[in-house]
Amino acid sequence: MEYTITTRGLSKAYQGKEVISNVNMNVRKGEIYGFLGPNGAGKTTIMKMLTTLVKPTAGDIHLFNELLTASSYEVLGRIGSIIEYPIFYEKMTARQNLELHREYMGYHNKQAVQEALDLVQLRGIDHKPVKEFSLGMKQRLGIARAILTKPELLILDEPINGLDPQGIKDFRSLFQILSREYGITLLISTHLLGEIEQIADTIGVISGGRLLEEVSMDNIRGQNTEFMELVTSEQSRAAVLINHQMGISNYKVLHDNIVRIYDDKINQKDLFKALAENNIDIQSINKKVMSLEEYFLDLVQRDSKMNEGA
Amino acid sequence: MLKLVKLELTKYPLKWYGVSAIIANLSIIILITLVSYFEPDSEIVFKNVEEALVVLSSFLRATFVILAAVLIAKLIIEEYKNKTISVLFTYPINRKKMFGVKLLLIALLTFIALFASNLFSAGVFLLINSYLQIVPGTVNQAFLLHQVLSILTFSIATAGTGLIPLYFGLRKHSMPATILSSLLIVAFTSAHNPSFSLASIVYIPLALAIVGVMIASWAIRNVDKVDLT
Repeated sequence: MEYTITTRGLSKAYQGKEVISNVNMNVRKGEIYGFLGPNGAGKTTIMKMLTTLVKPTAGDIHLFNELLTASSYEVLGRIGSIIEYPIFYEKMTARQNLELHREYMGYHNKQAVQEALDLVQLRGIDHKPVKEFSLGMKQRLGIARAILTKPELLILDEPINGLDPQGIKDFRSLFQILSREYGITLLISTHLLGEIEQIADTIGVISGGRLLEEVSMDNIRGQNTEFMELVTSEQSRAAVLINHQMGISNYKVLHDNIVRIYDDKINQKDLFKALAENNIDIQSINKKVMSLEEYFLDLVQRDSKMNEGA
Repeated sequence: MLKLVKLELTKYPLKWYGVSAIIANLSIIILITLVSYFEPDSEIVFKNVEEALVVLSSFLRATFVILAAVLIAKLIIEEYKNKTISVLFTYPINRKKMFGVKLLLIALLTFIALFASNLFSAGVFLLINSYLQIVPGTVNQAFLLHQVLSILTFSIATAGTGLIPLYFGLRKHSMPATILSSLLIVAFTSAHNPSFSLASIVYIPLALAIVGVMIASWAIRNVDKVDLT
């Protein structure tokens, strides 16, 4: 397996306080890696370390199998990025900004500017300085700049922020095209799984500066996330019945009169029968699938609870 | 290298600098001429041509030290303030070189503009004076040669001095601090009165120039070490 990014024991501390702890990340060549985590989890800091804007306090980073150091300049020519939010020379027009980028990157194909603008569908902006752009337009221009030189790796920090639903759809398919057709590796951060769920090959979940899990989407999709949801006004009686009489331990009592049963041995009919025989109130019984959003949220919440306990 | 300079100039066109330099030249010539012409008996007037030129040069140096600070604010501090530096630093170009080019551009521009301005303004003043005889003094070849050499030395020294505000600007990425510090430098180096003139001592700006160059090299060395948060 060939990796575009690997980090080992990557850590960053500011004034003795660790904001990134021991991150071991593996981004395979050509894949779309979704970097998921709440705001302030450390996504941007890691991305800044990957582009040498911030120096790690411990651990190391390999990009394209080469160790990244503070003076690894050449490798930056193989990367396109938007970090934090798209930043431009605001008094210049979109085209001038892209031209400038092309020159600095040492990329000679002059048509690339128009091609990039076309790919992100930015039109009618020829004489407008970037400071008059909306966030959505800046986001599009940021992507245009990042892909202009056809880099091997794209690092995009919350690229979908500020886009309208159509824009989000457009971008998803653009990312897919970049990955599948151009073989570009994409690292995309987001705090909303829904944004990348359909396109990511791997998801890395980060919270509190630690990488909690790194899973391939194929694996998650195959995992058993089905459960039965019972709504009843007699939660505790139902729980006792499920646990003792039916011998099921894998269940969870939630607020709002809900009991969730994760055991796949039981079916709806049996549960209904058992509850009815014991005269327990039933408002509804439904079979449900846990969304990935819930799966990850659960992961992050469990982690923060553990941290509080510690 | 030249390409980097060209790109800097694309980002920051310098028309304003040229316009400011021209305005400064004309205002200073007019000021010096008028003061000597209309107040021949007052104490502030120059006792000879040489003193008039010292004051003229010190005004010009003050102007270009402040303009250098504005250049530092625009080309360097503003890049940090607007965070465009984090775009600039994701390019496959040695950051020390990129930063160094900016500083070199500022110092060279200050030197060339000041040297040319000073030659021009002093020349125009001497020309006016030769017709109107406002200030006494003989102008011969030796005098002129001495003046040109002095202007050259002062221009080199001022180009270095002009880099000092970089230190104050980089500390908190503050554009006002950059420009304010240049005003303080100017107040010190251009101080002049007939009995005691700091402005005529070339060792002061030369010493400051060394400080300026040290600050510049410190900044260049640090550029790789600092996190851009």
